Amino acid sequence: MAGQTLEIKRSSAAMWGTHTGIRTTPTVAKYIDTTTCIGCKACEAACQEWNDLGTVETHQTGTYQTLPKLDAKFWNLIRFNEREVDGGLMWMMRKDQCMHCAEPGCLEACPAPGAIVQYGNGIVDVDPSKCIGCGYCATGCPFDVPKFHVKTGKMAKCTLCVDRVEVGLEPACVKACPTGCLNFGTKDDMVALGKARVDQLNKSGFKEAMLYDPEGVGGTSVVTVLGHGHPEWYDLPVDPNVPVLVRLWKSVLRPVGVLAALVTAIGTFAHYTKYGPIEPPSDGGSDEHPN
Amino acid sequence: MTTMAHGQTEMEIAAGRARENVVAGGALVRHRRASRLIHWSVAGTFFLSLLSGMPIWTPLFGWMAGLFGGLEVCRWLHPYAGSLFFILSILQFFHWLGDMRLTEGDRSWFGPKAFKYMHHEDFPADPGKYNGGQKLFFWAVTLGAIGLLLSGLIMWFPLYFPQMIRELAILLHDITFILFLVAVITHIYLGTAAEPGTFRAMTRGTVTRAWARLHHPGWFQEVTGDEARKR
Repeated sequence: MAGQTLEIKRSSAAMWGTHTGIRTTPTVAKYIDTTTCIGCKACEAACQEWNDLGTVETHQTGTYQTLPKLDAKFWNLIRFNEREVDGGLMWMMRKDQCMHCAEPGCLEACPAPGAIVQYGNGIVDVDPSKCIGCGYCATGCPFDVPKFHVKTGKMAKCTLCVDRVEVGLEPACVKACPTGCLNFGTKDDMVALGKARVDQLNKSGFKEAMLYDPEGVGGTSVVTVLGHGHPEWYDLPVDPNVPVLVRLWKSVLRPVGVLAALVTAIGTFAHYTKYGPIEPPSDGGSDEHPN
Repeated sequence: MTTMAHGQTEMEIAAGRARENVVAGGALVRHRRASRLIHWSVAGTFFLSLLSGMPIWTPLFGWMAGLFGGLEVCRWLHPYAGSLFFILSILQFFHWLGDMRLTEGDRSWFGPKAFKYMHHEDFPADPGKYNGGQKLFFWAVTLGAIGLLLSGLIMWFPLYFPQMIRELAILLHDITFILFLVAVITHIYLGTAAEPGTFRAMTRGTVTRAWARLHHPGWFQEVTGDEARKR
């Protein structure tokens, strides 16, 4: 957690608001164009270096992919997928990391006050000192992003390099990308860039090309151009949402539970005042032994 | 050395207290020492689980985390306290099972009779050691303890279970807990303020003859051999 100079828009398990509402900060976003990604993994290396994550043991799964999925010590993963489309083999690479949802399921599910925060600029960050390692965030996330360090149980994920962004730099992955398939700026600018690219792709034969900025989670601060459309081909959920059960136990069951306990407690008191205690009648109350 | 009291020596009374459903001195032994110890351990671990779980449940009760040294400690402590609560609940279940078999008369308790009871209007003609409401509570908390354990285990080790199962586990844990809390508040109220003379069954283990005759005439007759007087 590094965004010390940024205002916090939303915080996990907050009782009240965290935002002054005085200033409006533009939402930032990372732009990913899967069609110009060459799978060089420079972003992976840059992420490990900048975030001081060291090295991880790779897993050979028959593709170029470094690991099967994200890890507490590996926040940026290029996913390699192969698929036959119209008789030809498509080799698709997609940069996987935290999507920085506008409505983050992790933050919504988290029970530890301040452990997950969303800054004014839309970046979703985790504060390990407040994380209790319960795993609720992983249950709330539709993208399977939060991962836990084996020894400490603390959650770790991409911070969108908030420590760079807050001093006016782009994220390390964007800085390292050699083809320009990554970009960084305001969300509006990145969406405009993505739409223009999708237009271009549509015209040059990629009829199903689309910009992935899913509405179910309020849009994301990572917008991805998918050359072939079909988010599921890129291991992305087609229509991600904060799980409805998470919303149910967080927003409905908790107030209902507190109310139920309160009503019962008041109810017993009301019962006592109306009906009073039931005491054994004094005439039958002899404690004498009959013998 | 020994004085005669109510036709029994002090030593006989002391021996009587170690057993259940007997007359000891002027009182009836309702719960022998082992029963009381089991119930207090269940109650103790319940409150330990409650106080360490509620700050995780909602930040409204975040202040309870301070009792244990913070929310991280609660996250560590709660599953152990809960597991212990479950184990002791099961012990208690088998300890009391014999008295908790539902009879035909208990059936009426699942309807408006329970409300009439609360309004001091109508008592079952012949409640034995436990009335239908108490038996219902017994079976409900046993089911509840199983629900809390199963969902709790999934929540304790979330990463070994698929996302949908984890979502359902938290839902089940919440619902069961809410019902449990409501039931326990009522249980404690009935055992203390609402029915004077009941709480000592859990402390000293004994109840007065008058108490037994009023609340559990069938049991009173069984223990003393006296005809239960009509109230």
